[in-house]
Amino acid sequence: MKRTLFLLGLCVVVLYSSAFAGEYKFEPSEIEKKPYHLGGYGEFRPVLNVLDKSAALYKVNFYNQNLGDTTKEYNFRLQLEGSYEQGIARLFMRVNQDVDNTYQGWGSDGTLYEGFLSLKPSESYHIDVGKKVFKWGKGYAWNPVAFVDRPKDPNEPDLALEGFWTLSGDYIKSFAGPLKTLSFTPVLLPAITDINEDFAGGLSNPAGTPSPSTGDKINLAAKLYFLLYDTDIDLVYFTGGSRTTRFGIDFSRNITSNLEVHGELAYIEGITKRFINTSGTLFTETFDVTSYLLGIRYLTAKDTTYILEYYHDGTGFTKDQMGDFFSFVNRGYDQFLATGNDTLLSKAANLAQGNYSRNTPMTDYFYLRISQKEPFDILYFTPAITGIINLQDQSCSITPEAVYTGITNLELRLKAFLLIGKGNSEFGEKPNDYRIEFRARYFF
Amino acid sequence: MRNILKILFVLSALIIAFPAYAIDGTQLLAQVDRNLTPESYVMYRKLINIEPDGRKKEFTLFTVKKGKDKVAALFTAPASEKGRSTLRLGENMWLYIPNVGKPVRITSLQSVIGGIFNNSDILSLDYSAEYDVQKVDETGAEYLLYLKAKNKTVAYDQLKMWVDKSKKLPTKIECLTEAGMLIKTMYFKDIKDFGGGLVRPADIETDSPLYKGYKSVMLFAGLKKKEYKDEVFTLTFMDKMESLR
Repeated sequence: MKRTLFLLGLCVVVLYSSAFAGEYKFEPSEIEKKPYHLGGYGEFRPVLNVLDKSAALYKVNFYNQNLGDTTKEYNFRLQLEGSYEQGIARLFMRVNQDVDNTYQGWGSDGTLYEGFLSLKPSESYHIDVGKKVFKWGKGYAWNPVAFVDRPKDPNEPDLALEGFWTLSGDYIKSFAGPLKTLSFTPVLLPAITDINEDFAGGLSNPAGTPSPSTGDKINLAAKLYFLLYDTDIDLVYFTGGSRTTRFGIDFSRNITSNLEVHGELAYIEGITKRFINTSGTLFTETFDVTSYLLGIRYLTAKDTTYILEYYHDGTGFTKDQMGDFFSFVNRGYDQFLATGNDTLLSKAANLAQGNYSRNTPMTDYFYLRISQKEPFDILYFTPAITGIINLQDQSCSITPEAVYTGITNLELRLKAFLLIGKGNSEFGEKPNDYRIEFRARYFF
Repeated sequence: MRNILKILFVLSALIIAFPAYAIDGTQLLAQVDRNLTPESYVMYRKLINIEPDGRKKEFTLFTVKKGKDKVAALFTAPASEKGRSTLRLGENMWLYIPNVGKPVRITSLQSVIGGIFNNSDILSLDYSAEYDVQKVDETGAEYLLYLKAKNKTVAYDQLKMWVDKSKKLPTKIECLTEAGMLIKTMYFKDIKDFGGGLVRPADIETDSPLYKGYKSVMLFAGLKKKEYKDEVFTLTFMDKMESLR
């Protein structure tokens, strides 16, 4: 009996010890590097939209449909990343596949976000060729100096974007003294048949500027980066046939250990803006513009992060121009109701596409995001609230959200969008009053 | 006359006694640093956050350090964090997230992964680079070093470091605020030979009164002396850190 108890006790000790030891093992296989990598994430994002049927952009988009008071969306996304490394060469790809079910039925869209070959002969020189994203600029919600990127959505600034086909390089040099780092990044961006065709206008060009001329174009851009007196400074430049010449500067610096300031300034030559008056007459105006952004990021002792930005978009619409568009839409809608003729609404829909209905299309905005890391000692839980305020018409969007990342490789997010504004204001004329979405993202 | 003799006696006693207690704290701290890591190195770390109910979350990091003020780390696991890198150049710190696609400035107290670890733990420099030794006590087989941050950018204003006298390695470190409030305690365990003459703890366990019941463990592997070019420790290189592994 004693022997049995002893053996049982021994088994318990051995099992307990092995379980305990297992907790803290760091196996060699965990640090082994493979030449290839395949990963990414799968995402499910159901959305409920509460519609505003009196809003101008509702009328433009849905005047001939009966959607009810709400619409539902079921969005699925698979984003795959793969790489292969051999010697000084590395091949990288990021592919995005969206499948959704909306009021229009099922739809799908597959896009190569990035796909490039990187050559790194030394730590100081690199060459990249292929489709690539650059993400220039220091702003969180907007980047007026991102001359070779697609505009990001200020509601989702951290989402991966689709790049452009480019040939680019990096030269890096480090120093002792106040200038610690200098790097130079030249970019060659061709806009030819089947390659970067959308670079000249449309969504990739927030000013809505049409290409100065048609045909194949070669564009050049460059960024010169300094880390000088503990301040990040970028000088950026773009010229070429697809877009007008533009210059930019940005900076970022920690003023104290918990306060960072950043800013961007872009000067764009000869931008062409298209807008209409209330009767639908189309105007084009060509002028030089300045856009800028100033922001701070502040972390309190209680782990609350504040991100605050002011953005002036010189290419944006004035309050009167936006009001004229909304009036034109309302006139077109009245005509449609009276006669069934949708000519004016079709014209408005064409102008809205990538122009009046793009994200933050006007000139002056204020952005505030407050996030609290792990309140009430709930580990991996981060609630946040974001506000985007249009300073011209005082309309705004308020976005509360809560993110939980406590389960390895699973991210759960609940987010709501509240759009607040009077008639003839940007957020007041959006097609929704509210939007609630849940996002479950699993990484592999 | 008797008073003069008394003073002379006390002075003589002090002079005789002084060498026995004259531990050079600065030199001792520098020696502790070198016993923990070479000045320039590469290593892998596994960070494990353990919740009161036993649930764990693990992160694996590849780290390179050069000289006194350059350190960079790359997350290699789990999949949700893979490719994230952090860079510290003196008092400047940045975080690169592959999806975001550009480095952003961060602060030393900010947490990249949640839980007890913050950026400063992930991108730690030599203790002697960030702290001055204010006082050294002897407690049996250990020295107790009282350390004070050299400036306000250091994550913990004060440290109390217990150092094994014979091995010149820390056994326990308490991290405190300026007001003396305990933020966390680190326990150095499992002394292991990493090769190249480096024998040091391979396991640092951390608890915190701010996270009652939670525990964090940092395991070390593949630690060896290696020196990269300065250009590796730049913003432009952050998205290419994987190529160093």
